[in-house]
Amino acid sequence: VRCQHYPPLRALQASAALRRASDEHKKEPLTSSSQQHFDSPPAGHQPEQEPQGPRPSYTGQGGQESEDYESEEQLQHRILTAALEFVPEHGWTAEAIAEGAKTLGLSVAAAGMFHSDGSDLILHFVSECNTKLSRLLEKEQKLVQLGEAEKKPIDEFLRHAVEARLRMLIPYIEKWPQALSVLLLPRNIPSSLNLLTSMIDDIWHYAGDQSTDFNWYTRRAVLTGIYNTTELVMMQDSSPDFEDTWRFLENRVADAMAMSSTASQVQSTGEAVVQGLMGAAVTVSN
Amino acid sequence: CRCRALLSRPAGRLRARRDLAAGPDMHFGFQTVTEEERRKKIYQVFESVAKKYDVMNDSMTLGIHRLWKDILMHKMNPSPGTLLLDVAGGTGDIAFRFINYVSSVRERQLQRKLKHHQNLSWQEIFESYQKDKFNSLGDSQVVVCDINREMLKVGKQKAQHLGYSEGLSWVLGNAEELPFDNDKFDVCTIAFGIRNVTRIDLALQEAYRVLKPGGRFLCLEFSHVSNPLLSRLYDLYSFQVIPVLGEVIAGDWKSYQYLVESIRRFPPQEELKAMLEDAGFFKVDYENLNFGIVAIHSGFKL
Repeated sequence: VRCQHYPPLRALQASAALRRASDEHKKEPLTSSSQQHFDSPPAGHQPEQEPQGPRPSYTGQGGQESEDYESEEQLQHRILTAALEFVPEHGWTAEAIAEGAKTLGLSVAAAGMFHSDGSDLILHFVSECNTKLSRLLEKEQKLVQLGEAEKKPIDEFLRHAVEARLRMLIPYIEKWPQALSVLLLPRNIPSSLNLLTSMIDDIWHYAGDQSTDFNWYTRRAVLTGIYNTTELVMMQDSSPDFEDTWRFLENRVADAMAMSSTASQVQSTGEAVVQGLMGAAVTVSN
Repeated sequence: CRCRALLSRPAGRLRARRDLAAGPDMHFGFQTVTEEERRKKIYQVFESVAKKYDVMNDSMTLGIHRLWKDILMHKMNPSPGTLLLDVAGGTGDIAFRFINYVSSVRERQLQRKLKHHQNLSWQEIFESYQKDKFNSLGDSQVVVCDINREMLKVGKQKAQHLGYSEGLSWVLGNAEELPFDNDKFDVCTIAFGIRNVTRIDLALQEAYRVLKPGGRFLCLEFSHVSNPLLSRLYDLYSFQVIPVLGEVIAGDWKSYQYLVESIRRFPPQEELKAMLEDAGFFKVDYENLNFGIVAIHSGFKL
């Protein structure tokens, strides 16, 4: 039995009411929500809608929500997504989150749900970018499987994936150095490292890597190195459309390819040398 | 003296049958009284301590209460434009800290804005330094609400003395029945006040009602120390030293005896957390300060 560790799915009355753009919701009877886990919330929870006259809609999506319950995580997700548009102006800070909450019709105090250094916003953004990348790579893989596209050689595939992922940073590039420094805070390193490694894993998976030996580790280490260095170069790049960055990326990937062939060359050379020494030893002993 | 507590409880049960009209039984420190009596007694306590309230706070907690209130403000991290309701705000400690915090955040905001405007004319730069044009509080406001006239009076005098005028208002009101409309405030705080409220659940419901969606409730209050050694020292200090200080500094032993007893009777951290959840707050959490001597509970109206 998998233990569900999400908070109970009580209807978020206030935000749900806002989402449905209703004017007034009746005050809920006191709920006995001190029982912590998994009770399916009683039907009495749902705020009744009595739209009274015109009222501006606060729904970001503008669509009908088929389910009535939104968990706290989903609301936090929406707030952080809304906050991203304020990042270029306010940076990765609690202020941006507060502005995001305002656009959803919530009080600015809702930013207090998140850590005050903005790290929640950054981690959310990174996670969203990784998800977008996965979807993109999956789509392209489908096209290849259907025969509508050519399968790219490894180096081109890696270049394409890293470039696509780094391009997602472009709208926020001014404030990205701040985000990187926050991600390196000891408190955040477990989460940021986790996101980074799963992204690299994803890229290799779609690149067709099926290794089960030590190569698995070396491949990931190499690609992580390529990604991180390219990201740093991108911070400093002022060329049009970041051409210098992509050229740097191309060179690094080429280096990596050459290194792997060199490694195998070294191995065969090493074997040859050993054989030569053995031969010499036999000769000497005779 | 603890033996009083043991004696008063059985008597209280007898009384309950006789005084049903005066309301259910409640505790007043270690005594048992009816609801009405409790409200009256607490009013009298604060009426008599109002003038020496701040001095006593400093001497009882050795000034640490200032740190606790500062930590509360940092946890709140209000941005300019926040509307704060400080319930049982009495002498205005939280309100003044709020104003200070918000004005410094606002100043930084303005400085950042100015840095971006590199090519302003001298005239524009001069204008931007004029305070009223740029609204030094950023439209933030704090409403101090207290049930006790004397406490409010002391608070107003303090505000005048310290020079706080903008963004501050004083309202007489009961935490169990706040004189405000629904969905008005961004943050509602109650610092060292909820212990004195007779029906805590009503106060929490009222706080929920007046908060905007997304608003936050913060409660700073004395709480339960779980560490046994520390708990013994704390008890010793509370029962032996504090009432004496009360007598010496404020000339009022009984009020401070009440204070110390009311701390012991107040529900511990987990129970208060459950009460907050019952009132409808989400993401309820608490943070212990000084090993549980004080705790900050936080909940959101979502």
